[in-house]
Amino acid sequence: MNPRLLDLLARCGAIAASLLVAGCVTSTVQEVREGNTGILATDSVVVLGRRTRPTNAETELDFVTCVSKNMGGGNDKINVIAEQEFLDAMFPWFEPRTAPVHTSDLPQLIGQAPLAERLNQIGLRYLVWIDGATQRTESSGSLTCSVSAAGAGCFGFLTWENDSSYEASIWDVRTGESVGKISSDAVGTSYMPAVIVPLPIIAPVRSSACSTMADQPKAFLQKKGSTADCSGDQKRLAARRTVHAAGSPPRISTTSPAKYSGSVAYHSCSPT
Amino acid sequence: MQVWRNSACLAITLVIALLTATGCGASRVSVTQQFPVPVVERLPVAMGIWLDEALLAHAHTEELESGKEWQIELGSAQTAMFQSLLAGMFERGEFVTGTTSANVDGVLVPSIEELQFSTPDQTRTDYFEVWIRYQMKLYGRNGELVADWPLTAYGQSNSRNFSMQGQEPALQAAALAACRDAMAFFIVQFRSIPAIQEWLAANGQGPSA
Repeated sequence: MNPRLLDLLARCGAIAASLLVAGCVTSTVQEVREGNTGILATDSVVVLGRRTRPTNAETELDFVTCVSKNMGGGNDKINVIAEQEFLDAMFPWFEPRTAPVHTSDLPQLIGQAPLAERLNQIGLRYLVWIDGATQRTESSGSLTCSVSAAGAGCFGFLTWENDSSYEASIWDVRTGESVGKISSDAVGTSYMPAVIVPLPIIAPVRSSACSTMADQPKAFLQKKGSTADCSGDQKRLAARRTVHAAGSPPRISTTSPAKYSGSVAYHSCSPT
Repeated sequence: MQVWRNSACLAITLVIALLTATGCGASRVSVTQQFPVPVVERLPVAMGIWLDEALLAHAHTEELESGKEWQIELGSAQTAMFQSLLAGMFERGEFVTGTTSANVDGVLVPSIEELQFSTPDQTRTDYFEVWIRYQMKLYGRNGELVADWPLTAYGQSNSRNFSMQGQEPALQAAALAACRDAMAFFIVQFRSIPAIQEWLAANGQGPSA
């Protein structure tokens, strides 16, 4: 192969590698507190994907795993039970056919002696239901690759937009009540120009949503929040998000506070 | 340089040939996992389960319009499924051969009447889906038919969860989900069937006793 061509490919590869970290994502996070929270070192949490039938928007398994892993990691980690381990331990009461849809279904379910005993054994305090999915909302462009005796190469331009929309409903198993909801909507456009070598500029939409959906519930549960001091909590929420939104300043807006709620939108270019 | 080019062309041709050959073969899926023991209050009866040879060898083969042939083997999962149900639902349980046994109060005889599946190509969705229709029969201590009821189970799996692993693991996950759904539905349904409630009552057990 021509040494010049090899050199060109190497340079393009290096540029592609450096551009891999440059995708941009715009996220909106909304938090609604409906009850008091707090978690002890002995308490555990499970993150479950909503799979009630029939549905065509099942939450991805790896997203649920990602959220579980992130909640169970870091300095402020909490005890998280793996989803499949929980489903097997509680079988058949959290299967798609039998899983509780509303908090009003919880008391009857937990009222069953064998189930209550099992819940005590595993120390479950909170259920975090994740609903939503990542969808490709738009794509355009074309890219052609060819291989010949002289070498291989691609030419063209692709662009696509991904939208990760998730909502976490947090239920307190002990009280049988919903304590809050956190929703995250992340949108990002990825690009792939190709001149001999494709240069992917990927927007890490889903991983950004995963981080948000793990960090927010973790902070939400650990914060001894009360519906009585909503305004104070709301201020703290906004301040913390400003730190997260390195780059451009966040746009903070408050939604109608049924009990207490806050939302924030921010734009960030984060590493993959 | 010529040798290098010839080798590269040969390698590419072999890869294409291998991929083509793989695409033409039948895909076989079997569900042989362990199943969890249900967390329910045990019924104080001794139950026998007869899994006949037809059930244990059950396999569904279908050629789709695309020309691809699929085979789903469910027979191998039946023993594990019903073993878990016996262990969790009844005070005592054992596998038997035949509709009567001196050691048990009743004998349950399941059979698979129908199995259907669909692929994302057929439904234009991301999901593999599997439907299983069981026919369940419960025989009393003297071999008399106590209850006979259908049990329909459904399982789906998102092919995007298995995008790097091919289609077989996705269909396998859907089949496994259908088996778990069959178990869940059996547990929920069993105590609500009037004929079974009467049978439990006649045995001095159950809600109407």
